[in-house]
Amino acid sequence: MTDKFVSIRNLRFLLHEVLNIENLTQFDHYSDHSRETFDLALDTAHKIARNLLLPSLQEMDKNQPTFEKGIVHVHPVVKEFIQECGKGGWIAANASYEADGQQLPFSVTTACHFIFGAANYSASVYPLLMYGAAHLIESFGSDQLKREFIPSIFSGKWQGTMALTEPQAGSSLGDIQTQAIPTDENHFLIKGQKIFISAGDHDAVENVVHLMLARIKGAPSGVKGVSLFVVPKKRRDESGNLSPNDVNVSALYHKLGYRGAPIVQLSMGENGDCHGYLVGDPNKGLSYMFQMMNEARLAVGVGAAAIASAAYYASLEYTKERRQGRRLFDKDPDSEPIRIIDHSDVRRMLLFQRSIVEGSLSLVLQCCLYSDMAGVTTGDQKSKFSLLLDLLTPAAKTYPSEMGVMSVSQGLQCLGGYGFCDEFPLEQFYRDIRIHPIHEGSTGIQGLDLLGRKVVMHDSKAFVLFLDEVCSTISVACEIPDLKPYAEKLQHEINALREVTYGLMMLASSGHNEDYLEDSTLYLELFGIIAVAWQWLKQGIAATKQLERKLSQSDQDFYIGKIMTMKYFFLYELIKTYGLIERLSEEDGLTANFDDKFFAD
Amino acid sequence: MKSLVCLKQVPDTETQIKVNADGSGIVTDGIKYVINPYDEFSVEEALKLKEKFKAGEVVVLSIGPDRCVEAIRTALAMGADRGVHVCDEAVNNGDPFVMAQTLAAASGNIEYDIIFCGHRAIDDDFAETGAMLAELLKIPQITLVTKIEVSADKKTITCERDIEGGKETVESPLPCVVSSQKGLNEPRYASLPGIMKAKKKPVDKKTFADLGLTPDAKLVSKNFSMPGSRQAGQKFEGMEPQEVAKTVVQALRSEAKVI
Repeated sequence: MTDKFVSIRNLRFLLHEVLNIENLTQFDHYSDHSRETFDLALDTAHKIARNLLLPSLQEMDKNQPTFEKGIVHVHPVVKEFIQECGKGGWIAANASYEADGQQLPFSVTTACHFIFGAANYSASVYPLLMYGAAHLIESFGSDQLKREFIPSIFSGKWQGTMALTEPQAGSSLGDIQTQAIPTDENHFLIKGQKIFISAGDHDAVENVVHLMLARIKGAPSGVKGVSLFVVPKKRRDESGNLSPNDVNVSALYHKLGYRGAPIVQLSMGENGDCHGYLVGDPNKGLSYMFQMMNEARLAVGVGAAAIASAAYYASLEYTKERRQGRRLFDKDPDSEPIRIIDHSDVRRMLLFQRSIVEGSLSLVLQCCLYSDMAGVTTGDQKSKFSLLLDLLTPAAKTYPSEMGVMSVSQGLQCLGGYGFCDEFPLEQFYRDIRIHPIHEGSTGIQGLDLLGRKVVMHDSKAFVLFLDEVCSTISVACEIPDLKPYAEKLQHEINALREVTYGLMMLASSGHNEDYLEDSTLYLELFGIIAVAWQWLKQGIAATKQLERKLSQSDQDFYIGKIMTMKYFFLYELIKTYGLIERLSEEDGLTANFDDKFFAD
Repeated sequence: MKSLVCLKQVPDTETQIKVNADGSGIVTDGIKYVINPYDEFSVEEALKLKEKFKAGEVVVLSIGPDRCVEAIRTALAMGADRGVHVCDEAVNNGDPFVMAQTLAAASGNIEYDIIFCGHRAIDDDFAETGAMLAELLKIPQITLVTKIEVSADKKTITCERDIEGGKETVESPLPCVVSSQKGLNEPRYASLPGIMKAKKKPVDKKTFADLGLTPDAKLVSKNFSMPGSRQAGQKFEGMEPQEVAKTVVQALRSEAKVI
């Protein structure tokens, strides 16, 4: 078996031919970059992924982190990778030159993280959390906090985390209870418990820096009383040495998958000596945290697509080698068995995976490009890109996660009984990907976010902008005879989405809030399928354009394969919207009104 | 410490190689190219020497079509200072002697204390170029090197080299040609700051005419072929163990002719 886990060819297609990221280099901020630097970054990420991360994929699953004498021990490759990320500038890649970063576009670094994630998802999360934490301090922290924490995080010496969840408050962050008591000095005293903290403690770094939500004593209840603190595991004493900061690991969770990264429970201030440093203004913590959360949501989306990519290539390889059965109408029992890829149902399973992986990746990278554009434009343009990013983030997190689980399941199915056994990596991928619909805001939360907040914000401005974007892609595709029927299908779906959305908004405006949001997860599912169909149409347009040129055989096969996969998505996946549209057009309030006593038996 | 690193771009080891229809070469369509792994050891070692002596230069010299510039840029992103790219139809597919001729001519304008060559290129596996280059330049060559020590005055080099069943330590005056063997070091990955800097580093492009040479190939490549497919194994079933052993021994003797 080959060890293919990603297609660099496809990444280049998406970045250069679909998203045209080279256009970013026209802006001052990115003017030092070129296609060459982007490609070299991708190639280097691929090399690191192949040589450093991939060999430890199974080992990190089998030898989970251990918790001994208050310290979490992780696989030695974690340290090696983190140090490489620090030394190679990968943690600071997006940061400005002033902050010792490389000002690489988010779209490029996300593509690199896709490569890392496909090789070894557990390992890939450590540097991501580091960047997120440092970026949060950089955006909202005081100069002193920046000086104290950012260089050590960027160099890979200190781990960053996001510490939000508590035993009684997960999805509902307004209910957190961790307390911050003001002192006369430059710090607060933190007391409380946090659970499910990814990379919350481990021995591959010298220190762990938690970006933690807590409530300043006397703050208003709910989300309006939540503040953001930097709470390090170790703090500097008067002589500048690192000493314990009364942050203790109280438990290490044992998980279904994603086992190479420790998820811990933390207890702060058991001895009344846990210092926390306020980031920005009091009571604005949640809005600050959303910066890291939104980045993390896109990272979850790309991580899910990455695992599904690895599963797809593993199953593709197997189906090309494994011989089983004969053509349906071949009655000769002595004829040579055919490769299982030659069975059309197996091809369907492969196309399903490919359409999910490449469609999901495209949607996440599109969001990253909006983020890059929002960073370099001003006025209406900036607001347009920010709104589109905000609107699409729940779908870019959820579609890859939910459909990634299905995709890996189909990959596993391709291997039959072997897929269920640990001689092949599919069973691990199946376990590893299952966290994605859960962490960084579960699918239910994303549904509420999309329908309850994003679609209606600023008089539905973001939603209207999204419809415009899709419609402009449709009008380009309508000019291409081969794509026109698909463009028309998408137009039909967009019209239906518009109608469903306005119908739901009418429900809300007539005061039926519960009914309006009861199926918001299904609304998100519908929205996600349409958003990915839009991305596939964009890919279809780009591939058609390339096919007009004189191409090598392998390039020709690539673009024809792209268009065929686009057609697959429209013919097999887009039609799944029909049931959703019908359901979302009903107003019976069935789940909202279903009394729990009916669940008795 | 000034090093000249001869670097070849070769198909990635993961690429599935196919021979073209007339057997005159391989199908190049769809191939991913990388730096020859032995040349990567050379780049790393040259960078280490420069870092150790806190002065000097690492120049990367490559022969081949336009795509070779990617390999040069990768070496520059690892930290090399500048590149020289000889790109000429007449020489891009030259035999080892033409390659050595070209490298020798191109090295004429470059100052060096040491020239690194990979022990061999993983595509054509000739392992001849380094030796010919040393000969053409009339300097010593040390092959299969796994460890290097350069004297403080940069006048002599001591190398550990692989020999059958062990190691040999040899000393040579500088300049000399060293051919890098696996085990010499662990090549670093390019860093993102390195990638940014690489873009601005000079790559001097030259043709054969610029070097004032005419190719003088000694070898003519006649044909490429893939190894024959392995024959299916034999199964001995439905027999008593003694009988199986007898049959297998017989087969090994008369059919496989290995005993």
